[in-house]
Order: sequence, then structure tokens, then C-alpha cells
Amino acid sequence: MIVPLDIIIFVILIVAAVLAINVSDLLAAVALLAAYSLFASLLFAGVNAVDVSLVEAALGAGLTGVLFIGAILATTRHSTAKRNRRRRIVVLPLIIAFVGLMLYASIDLPDRGDPDAPAHTGVSQYYLENSMADTQTPNVVTSLLADYRSQDTLGETLVIVTAALSATLVLIRRREDEPGEPSPLDPDDDAPVVEDPSAPSGRGAPPSGSDDPAPSDPYADEHRRGGRP
Amino acid sequence: MMTGEYPSIVVRVVCALLAPFIFIFGLYVVAHGHYGPGGGFAGGVFLAAGAILPRLTLDEDLAYRIFPVVLGPLAGGIGMLLFLACGVLPMLFGGAFLDYGAVEVAGIEPARMRYLGILVVEVGVGLAVFGAMVTIFDVLMGRSER
Repeated sequence: MIVPLDIIIFVILIVAAVLAINVSDLLAAVALLAAYSLFASLLFAGVNAVDVSLVEAALGAGLTGVLFIGAILATTRHSTAKRNRRRRIVVLPLIIAFVGLMLYASIDLPDRGDPDAPAHTGVSQYYLENSMADTQTPNVVTSLLADYRSQDTLGETLVIVTAALSATLVLIRRREDEPGEPSPLDPDDDAPVVEDPSAPSGRGAPPSGSDDPAPSDPYADEHRRGGRP
Repeated sequence: MMTGEYPSIVVRVVCALLAPFIFIFGLYVVAHGHYGPGGGFAGGVFLAAGAILPRLTLDEDLAYRIFPVVLGPLAGGIGMLLFLACGVLPMLFGGAFLDYGAVEVAGIEPARMRYLGILVVEVGVGLAVFGAMVTIFDVLMGRSER
């Protein structure tokens, strides 16, 4: 079951995705991706998945864009990907074959909202009927995420926190490797890199950060050249 | 540069006015997950947006005084620990991991206990997501070294 609104949104999504890949200005690509997320959240709202829609609108269209822009500021604004005609000849049939395979497989998918769909005949029936009695929570999505399936949510939260921690580790180390460019944000940051690896850097950086001497950083040149838009 | 005072006063004023309301809306979404769309994830993202907006537009010293850099990792860790504590607590009462209904408190029936457990878990998730997002932003902006 596909309603006309879906078709409009799908067309917009495809156009936004193709434009985001093709545009060489990465800032424009970020804006296009935010638009993509906004329309995807409309699509989710259209199938009554309001919780997913809210997260997609807040995270995909809002905060991810901010983080992407931060990444652009830390690196470079213009994509330098070269168009390789020969590679396209190889890749295009593969993509077409994959899309064809997906479309062929989607024929067997149950209709949206079909009560006999496999997803609706298992435990989900129990959740819908007993959420109120078990947890006094009218919003089944919440009781499902935070009670029936709370271990999944625990895993998701762990993933997010781990992502933040690993981003911290990677990015702090990268800045340690750049002695030539004092950060414009931190006026007192132009102290030279600690030469002795055993000496405490006092910044909460990983101890392995300083055993990688700066001249050997293959991207140091890239970082300096990248500049900020 | 991205952080720091934005040149246009219109942007500064609008963002300064909006940020507290976005933050309050985030709290609402976290607390209101039982009855409407939302919950920890969406609410945490809104909270993070409310914290990041001043950093993007207002004077740096002011923005980082409202939400210090240390708040990101702190909130992330506290939220994660809250979630884990919520999982371990029922085990002390003989229940399974994350089975809030097993916690016995006089005068509270198991269903109500699950309701409260969901609330605590949502708050934990909200704090963790908020902390993670703010931490990633601060790290990207090179602010986390202090």
C-alpha cells in the first residue's frame, strides 16, 4: 500500500541523496542530508511511527548536521573526490543488479498494516494488549523500549556513549599530534608537545598520544592546508 | 570560526531566547515518554540541542559558563550508570536483570514499579544521549582538552 504522499517523499529523498553525493561543497551536502532526514521523518510520521519520526527530526535533521559542520570546520570544506569513468562502468551494473534484487525481494513483503504480517503475529500482540496492565504506560513504544526490550535499549545507549568516548580519544590524540597549529579557540594551547612520553600531559589525553611524533603524521600537511571555511 | 559570538544580533537574541525553551522541551519529552512520542533518545537530543545552541551563537565565556565542558562526559557517565543501576537493583531483590517489577517497595504494586522503572531508565538514556552529543560536539570543536 503506497499512498501518493509516499511517492512524493520518496522522489524528494532520492533527489536529495543523489545531490548530496554529487555536490562538491560539503556544507551544501550537509544541508541536503538534513533535508533528507527531515523528509524521512515526514515519511515515518506518515506511517504513524511518531517516536521514530521525532528522533529522526531531532537527531538526523538537527544535531547530526551540527556535528557534520563541526567535522567540516576541523578538516576541509571541499570534496576532492575524482570522477573515475572506468570505475563507474564497473559499479553501475552492480548497483542496478542490487536494486533489482531488492525490488524483487520487496514483492514478497507484507502490506503495510497487514494484521497477518509475521511481525504482527508474534510477541507484538502481547505487548499491545498487556502494556497497560503490566506497566501502566499508554505509549506502547515506550514500554517496549524501556521495559520489555530494555536490554536492547541498554545496548543502544552503550553504543552512543562508546561512540562519544571513542570520538574523544581519536580527536584528542589528533590535536596532540599537531604542534604547528595552535588552536584559535585555546589561546594557552600553544605549548609544545611534551617530548617525554612518560611525562604527564595533564590534559586527560591517552598516554599513547605522545609516542607518535608529529613529523610522521601523514595527514599533518593535509590538516594545515585544509584551513577553515 | 564556528563557536563564539555570532556577528548578527538577530541570531544571537533569537538563539538566546530559544535555547532555554528547547531545553525545557527536552525535559518534557524525556518525562512525557509514557504518554506521548518521545522518551530518552529524542529528549536527550533536544537537551543537547539546547546546550549546543548557546555555544554556536553566544559569547564563548558565557556559553561555557552555562554548560561547562565537563558536563558532557559527566552527564553521559551518570546516565549510563543510572541505567545500569536500574538493571542491577532488581537482581538484589531476586529478579532478572532490568526486571523492575521485581523491586519490592511497600505500597507500590509491580505494575507501578515498572512504570517508575521506565521513567528512571528514560532519564538515564536522556542523560547519556545528552552527554554523548555534547561531548562529541566539544571534542570536534577542540574544547575537550581543558
